[in-house]
Parts: sequence; C-alpha cells; structure tokens
Amino acid sequence: MIELLLLFLLVPLVVTFVAPLLPPRAASYLTALAFAVPFFGVLYLLFGGVTADVTLMRFPAPVGRLYVFSDAITAVFSLSICAVSAMVALYAIPYMEHRFKEMGLDPRKEFRKYIFIYDLYAVSMLWIVHSGNLLLLYVFLEIMLITAFLLIYLYGYGNRQWVGLLYFIWCLIAGVLTLVGFLVIASESGTLALDELMHLHKISTVAWAFIFFGMVIELPGLGPHIWLPWAHAEAPTPVSALLSPLTVGLAGYVMLRISLVDPSFFVVYRTPIFAYAALTSIYAGFAVFMQKDFKRLLAYSTISQMGYILIALCVGGVFGTMGVAIQYMSHAFGKSILFMCAGGLIALYGLRDVERMGGLHDYVPELSNAAVIGFMNLAGILTVGMLGELFILRGAVEAFGLNLAYILPIVFIFILSGWYGFYTIRKVFYGRPRSELKSKSISGYLYVPLFVIGVLSVLFLFPPLSSSLVGNLYECVRYLIGGGAL
Amino acid sequence: MNAAHIFLALFLAPIVSSVPIAVAYRRKELVGKLPPLSVAGILVSLVCSVLLLLKFPDQHFEYPWLPQLGINFVLSTDYLSRLMGVVTALIAFIIAVYGLDYMRGDYRLPWYWFFFNLFTASMLLVVYSDNLFLLFVGWEGLGIASWGLIGHWYRDDDEITFVGVPDRRVGPLRLCWTPSFGGWRAISTIRLGDVPMFLAIAALWMLSPEHNINISQMPWEEILRAAGAAGTVVILTMFLIGLFTKSAQLPFSEWLMTAMTGPTTVSALLHSATMVAAGAFVFMKITWYIRPWEVAAAVPGLETVYLLALLVGLFSAFYGALTATGMLERKVLLAASTMSSLGLMFGTAAASCWIHEEIAGMNFALLVAFWYLVTHAFAKATLFLVSGHLIHATHSRFSEGDLELASRMKAGFVATLIATTFLVGIPPLTAYWVKSAMDEVMEHLLIHEHMLLPLVLLLATSVTYSVILARFFTLNFFKGGKPHHLHLERLPLMEFGYLAMVSMLFVILYMLFERHELFELAKAGFKPASLLVGVAVLVAFLVATFKPRVAALSKIGTFFNDRMYLPFLNDFISPVVGFFVARLVENYGNRGIDGFFNTKVVPTLFRSLSRGVRAIQVGYLRSYTQIVLGLVMLALIGVAVWGVMP
Repeated sequence: MIELLLLFLLVPLVVTFVAPLLPPRAASYLTALAFAVPFFGVLYLLFGGVTADVTLMRFPAPVGRLYVFSDAITAVFSLSICAVSAMVALYAIPYMEHRFKEMGLDPRKEFRKYIFIYDLYAVSMLWIVHSGNLLLLYVFLEIMLITAFLLIYLYGYGNRQWVGLLYFIWCLIAGVLTLVGFLVIASESGTLALDELMHLHKISTVAWAFIFFGMVIELPGLGPHIWLPWAHAEAPTPVSALLSPLTVGLAGYVMLRISLVDPSFFVVYRTPIFAYAALTSIYAGFAVFMQKDFKRLLAYSTISQMGYILIALCVGGVFGTMGVAIQYMSHAFGKSILFMCAGGLIALYGLRDVERMGGLHDYVPELSNAAVIGFMNLAGILTVGMLGELFILRGAVEAFGLNLAYILPIVFIFILSGWYGFYTIRKVFYGRPRSELKSKSISGYLYVPLFVIGVLSVLFLFPPLSSSLVGNLYECVRYLIGGGAL
Repeated sequence: MNAAHIFLALFLAPIVSSVPIAVAYRRKELVGKLPPLSVAGILVSLVCSVLLLLKFPDQHFEYPWLPQLGINFVLSTDYLSRLMGVVTALIAFIIAVYGLDYMRGDYRLPWYWFFFNLFTASMLLVVYSDNLFLLFVGWEGLGIASWGLIGHWYRDDDEITFVGVPDRRVGPLRLCWTPSFGGWRAISTIRLGDVPMFLAIAALWMLSPEHNINISQMPWEEILRAAGAAGTVVILTMFLIGLFTKSAQLPFSEWLMTAMTGPTTVSALLHSATMVAAGAFVFMKITWYIRPWEVAAAVPGLETVYLLALLVGLFSAFYGALTATGMLERKVLLAASTMSSLGLMFGTAAASCWIHEEIAGMNFALLVAFWYLVTHAFAKATLFLVSGHLIHATHSRFSEGDLELASRMKAGFVATLIATTFLVGIPPLTAYWVKSAMDEVMEHLLIHEHMLLPLVLLLATSVTYSVILARFFTLNFFKGGKPHHLHLERLPLMEFGYLAMVSMLFVILYMLFERHELFELAKAGFKPASLLVGVAVLVAFLVATFKPRVAALSKIGTFFNDRMYLPFLNDFISPVVGFFVARLVENYGNRGIDGFFNTKVVPTLFRSLSRGVRAIQVGYLRSYTQIVLGLVMLALIGVAVWGVMP
C-alpha cells in the first residue's frame, strides 16, 4: 500500500530517461501519461484518506532519514504540478516544433534534448513537494533551478542567454540562502527530516531568516521580483507555463512546511511581513495595467498572486495554511492556462504586444474563452480559487480581527486581480481588431489542454473532488497545527 | 422523485442543456438548431420550481459538500425562496422563448445561450440557497454571466448596441459606451462589491458557532453581539456593498445604465428576476432571519446599518427616477427606472427594522418589499421585451413612435399600456395596492420614529416614477414622432413573450385579493391617504402622457440624461487615479529596481570590480612587489598606531 507512493513518484522519473528515445509526439504523450499516474495515484490516496511515508535511506545526524511522503497538503501541490505538467507536455508538441523551426534547429533532434530537460524539471518539482527531508528537498530545488535555466538559455526569446543567467543568479542566491538556513537547522536540531523536526517544534530565528529571505527572492516579493518578468516573459512558453504557475509558488510550499514546524517567525514579524506582502501584491497588480508584452503582463500578475501566498503564510493558522495550498492550486491552473494562451498567440500570429492585439476573439475564440477561465481562476470566480480566497479572508479575520488597516488591503488586492483580468481580456480579445490578421485553423494541442485544466479548476470547487481534497486538507492541517507529527 | 433529484434537475438542466451549443460553436448549421434545447433546459427548471412550490413548501434540505467546514448544499423552500424560484424560472423561460426569435441569426449564439442559461441557474442557486457560501457561488455565477451577456456583441461595431449619443462629449469624457466597455464597467463594479461581501461571509463564518453559515439557522443575534457595535457595522456594511453593487444602488449605479449594450433579452432578464433583483432579494432574505425588528435593541450597531440601507435605497430611488425623466434611450430610461424600483425595495425592506407588525408570521415591510419585487419583475420584463421589438422594428435605440406605430403593433402597445399603468400605482391596478402598503410603512416611520425624509422621498419618487413610465409609453407609441425607419415583421414568439409576461400582472392582482397574507397587505389601499397618492400618480401619468416634453426643462433634461455626471466617477476619476499609480509603479518603481539590480548599478559595480581585480594581474613582478610592499607598509603603520594607543 505504502510503497505505491514511491511507485507513483518513480514513474515520471523513469520516463524522463525513456522519453528522449522516442519521437516527439510519442515522447510527449508518454510524459503526459507519466504525470497522469501520480495525479490519479495521489487522488487514490486522498480518497482513501491515506498518508503515506516511504523511507529511502537513513543517514546519521545531522541529516537523518531521507524519505518521501504524502499527506493532504502535498496532495494539493502535487495534483497541481501533475495536471499542469501533463497538459503542458501535450501543448508543447506543436509549440516547440514552431519554436525549433523559428530558431533554425532540427525539430526531431532538438526535441530529445528538450523533453529530457523538461521532464527532469517537472519531476524535480514533484519530488520537492514529496520530499520528507530538507536535504532531499534542497537537491531537487537545485535540479529545478538548473533545468529551468537550461530551458531558458537554450530555447528562450530575446536576449535569452542574458535572461537565463539573470534567472540563474537570482535563484542561486535564493537557493544558497535557503541552504544556509537548512544547515543552521541541521546544526541546531541535529536532523533535517521533517517528521523529527515536527516533534522538536523549533526553528531558530537565524535559520528562519535565511530561509525566509531566500524564499522571498524565489517567490518573489517586491524588490527581488524584478527577475521574474524577464525570465517568465522570455522563456519558451511551455517553460513559462511551468515556471510561473508551479515553480515560484514552491517557495511558498517550503515556507509552509517550515512554518508548520515552527510558525514563530511569522507570528513575531507578522505586521511587517504582512505590509510587505500586501505592498508586493498591490504594486504588482498595478504594474499589470502598464505592460505591453502579454507574457510580461502575466508575469506581473504572478507576482501579485504570490503576494496572496505570502499574506496567507503570515496570517497562518488553519485557514491561512489552507489558503496557501488552495491559492497555489488555483493560481497554477489559472496561470498555466493564461501562459499557454499567450503562447498560442505567439505560435499563430507572432503577437506579443498587447497594444497590437484587440478583437482577437474573432480569430481565436478558443484562446479567448480559455483566457476567461484563466482569469476567473485568478479572480476566484466559480473555480477552486473561491475557496482559496475564502480561506485567506477567514484566516485574516482570525489573525487581525476586523481591523480595517489589515483587512481592506486584502480586499483591495482581490478586487484588483479581477480588474486587471477583465481589463486585459477586453484589451486583447474584444473590440475591433487592431491588426490585419486572418482567421487560422488552430491545432487541438494548442487549446484542448487549456480547457482540460479549466474544467479541472471548476471540478475542484465542487464535490466529490473538493470534498475529499479540502476536507482532508482541513483535517490534516488541523492535526499538524494542533501539534501532531507527520 | 425526491427533493434532491428535483434540485439537481433545477440547477443542472439549464447548464447541461446549453453545453451542446457551446461545444458546437464552429458548426454554424448545428448552432442554428440547438437553441430550443437550451430553452427546454430552462423549462425543466420551471417545472422543478413549481414542483418545489407545491410539494415541498417550508422545508430545509442539506446535502454534504464540506461538512467539517459547514459548507454544504443547503437549500430551503421558505416563503421567499419558493415563490421567488418560480418567478425567476418563469420569467427566464418566457424571455428564453422570446429570445428564440430575437436572437435568430446572431453571430454569437453559443456564447449567448451558454451564459443565458448559466445566468438563470445562478440566480436559482442564489434564490434557493440557505448556505452563505453556496449563495456566493450563485452570486459569482451571476456576475460572470452578466459580464458575458452585457458584452455579448464584443465587436463593438454596431451603433445600435451602444449606449449614449455617439460623439457626445462633456469635458474630457465621451458619453457613449460600447458593449465591451459596458461589460467591463459591469464586472469591475461587481468585483468591487463582491469581495467585501465575501469578507463579510468569512467573518460571519468565523463568528458563527460550529462553522454554521446557514442563513436560516445561524444565531444572528449571538453572532452580531459577539462582533460588537463596530464589528456589526463593518460586517453588515461590507455585506451591503455587495448587494448595492449588484442592485446598482448609489454610487454603484453606472454599470446598470451601460448594461443596456447587451441584447434586450439580457436587459429584460437582468432587470426583472435576476442580477439586480438578487441584491434586493438577498437583503430581504437575510433581514427575514436577522429579524432586526426584534433584536435591534439588543444588538448595538444594527440600527445604524438599517438606517444606511434605508437612506441609500430611497436616495437611489429618487436619483433613478429623476435621471430617467431626461433619458432619450428606451432601454436606458427603463434601466434608470429599475434602479429606482430597487431603491424602493431596499428602502422598504430596511424599514422593517422599525416595523413590528406581522402578517401570518412575516414582517409587514418585508412582505411589501417582496411583492413589489415580484410585481416589478413582470412589469419591467414586459417593457423590456416590448423595447426589443421596437428596436427591431424601428432600428433605433432612441424613443420614437406615434399612434400609427401603435396601431400596427397592437400587441406591443397594449402590453406597454398595461405594464406601465399597473406598475406606477394607479388605483386600482396591481402595484397600487403594494405601493399603498409601502406608503403605510413610511408613514409608520414618520409617526413612530419621527423620520420625515423616507416618506417624502417615497412620495416624490412615486410621482416622478409615474412620469417616467408615462414618458416611456407616450414617446414610443403616441407622441414620439414618426419613426425614421419602420420595418415590421411578424415575430410570434416575441409577441407571445410580452403578452405572457404582462398577463402575469393580472394573476398577481387576483392573488392580492385571494391570498390571505396579501389581502392584509392590500388593505392599505382602501385608506383615503393612499387613494390621494394614487390620484396624484394618475394625474402625473396623464400629464406626462399628453405633454411628454417640456422645452423649458430641456437643459436640466440633458443633465439628467447625463445621469448628473455620475459617469465621471467610473470613467474619469477611477482610471485617472488608477493609471497614475500604475504609471508610478512602472515608470519609477520597476524601471528603478530593474536598473539597480539587473541592468545598471549592480552589473556595473561587478564589472568594475572585476576589471579592478584583473587590472592588478598584469604579469610584471614589479607591480606584485609594489602590492606586497604596500601591504607591509600598511601593516607596519597599523602596528605602530596600535602600539601608541593607550
């Protein structure tokens, strides 16, 4: 029973090495299938209410046991990662072919290289979530960083090598700071295994500070946020569709795990962190309105949404914690749809400039309607994002009472997300066409995956999916916060 | 067949039945054939709602969703819900049938039918839901569906879909709105209200014991007392902002006027039984269970909130009626009058806080507000449906039409005459009895609470309201001049639509004297004071019918047609402030930070540092010797200074 988990996690890892041997289409389908396995596997565990834990190796102190595990929190994250990675893999079939041709490369040959790095990248994210040991987690964090860097460096747009390097340096700093934080934990607690840490319930402020600042660069917060629009806009779209929805939010996951061990840092510095998070979110929300490049626009929206996650983290408690998880999922679904949508416009029309768009609904109703679902996710309308917003609001009311100085910024941030979403839709898709374009037939790969994710995002709001996912999440978080061990 | 199945069919039938047309969007032929299927879905809802009314009155149903969190499918068929459910489904069904003719050949049918049905299903969810979160799901469905439908004609290329006079400018503002702009204005205003309302729900959820957020079961008094005076005011005001934005009360009314860019069927649905009615309905529903008339004394802050609702409602009612007197466009005139009616509903429902009289266990004021909502729904839907036919026939959105038009469009003429006279409160027609009860409510406030303003605003609104509907009638069928263009074709489904709709007003009139609780309410109509108001309304109606335009007032009419310049708030002040901040953020914030870290300062520093380090390594022994000697000298100086120091 329990070894099932390891099986689920190993399938995509094995496929990573098998897929490059196959032709592009087969490799992509195999990848999608490989991520469907852990997706349904995790759902299976979730419906059974099982938490799994598989030991990989035992090390002496200060490392401790290396293991992978699954509980309701990891489930939310890994379901998001698997669903998005599988769908983006299919989406990439026509997209990367278009990109390779554009770059003058041989599509067949180049796709082998691409699919290997892509799979490794996606698998590393999946393993980060399931890692039961901070050392293991860090290793996959670095694999994730390097693979994403390679993808930008090799296949990105614009000044891709410079952008790749920029991304690498920022995230390396983030990674190293976090590593120092982990090492401090190791020296103080004598272990890096999460279950043992949960028993000890203690993370020193020094360790917390390193991890916090590291992960705030990765998340990113205001200031360090400046790397993100470059990387997310210039990465090839399938990579953007993982970077933005999945990768950055994992910083939130790391902080979430640490704060489940010991939330003291967020409790002590709640007000300044809250102010910083709210400022990040509002700042980025306003910046969205000024972007000319569609992908950059989406990148700023990501920063704003990551502000939600930081707010939820610093609010803490049962509902803040649930808010982080559900918000991650909702953003992952919404933003992957939107990036793929932007990519579709690039592949079909070579359009990135929002100013030159307008009236595009006539030509690509599929992408236009998918974008509506995407922005509905971000704004929390009729999708799983509604639960995320509800939990964050409740967490905030529990933490701050009805103190308007705290509550109103949160309310404003949520409103702002709806505003920039529908503003963008109107600007890009409605009104009279601003460019002379022709209606083109669109490959099914370029829009069906978007709607699959869209339907998922609605299904996760309603039973039976939300009953088991959110219901288990609630029990799990309550147990962990109540002092229970993993 | 148990209640669970009925509810399932009620909510899902409209959505499921509109999926085929949505999926078949690329196949024109199929799309043309599928609309009746969508209408059939709404018919299923109608049948279900009638079943609930007849077979399952006054029951409470609970099906699990997230039981640990108190979020469940909780549905109730209390007095308000079961009646409103039928009203909603019936109106939606009639409008859907009308739409089969009205929308024929439209370029975006899949979109239209999908959102039309989603709109209906969402409203039904709001109506039957007893759980605040479930209600909010329906609430969000209303928001997104209204956005989709208002901006339906997204191409913005047909002047007949616009609102406002093209090229009309006041200062920096263009007073003309396209469909996509109308949609944006709607959703941006709706979001502004929804999130505070969501916060209020979250706060109530936290305060309620055992996570219980079922409207009919929550211990409202206990919760609000726990929140304290300030807490009560904050929570309920936040909640009210959601309701006010949906119901287009001041200052959130602008979106409703430009919502007229949508197809007329949408306007009809939006203005009668869904969307705007949702705000007033939810207000009535929660007031029903908060029971402010009983608990206001014990809950500090509650009275303040109801006073706010009373004033916002009545001022919106007066503002709406006043601006409508200057409106040139058919549908916008009706839109402003809807705002006015909704204001009256809010005002009357809020007045329940001070009314202790109960009829059959229900608060008198709430009963009045609810039945006004029902009467208004059918009458207003009729008027919109006639407008749609008029727009089809005359190819103009501006009011125009004479007796010749009336004689050639007899059905429309008769329906309009009935709907207008029945709605304004001319004795002894339907709304007269309800409005008389409303007068009585406000009179009660004057006598017992010494509040003069509500009664004054109500009377002023009533008379003005009579003027505006008379103007609608006369400018379209009597004194509006010869239409520039007239193209009449037989559209039987459209005629059926408004005739069926208007006939419901007779049914309500009958019910007023047949149903026990309604007769108690209608009794107010026999008082001399009510009759006096009725006569004043009648006189206003007649005067306006025969003299719809007064040249001396044309300036102020234009001011009213510009909605007293309220568009400045939406289209000038908000974007100017917003884009100022956005520009600040982008041009200074982002450019500054980007320059510092990524492109200028830090990279330059690194470059010069590395150049400096590399400059040392020239390979000549002499320079290395100099460096070493220099370092030794520095060390010696250091040691010397250290030795001298005390």
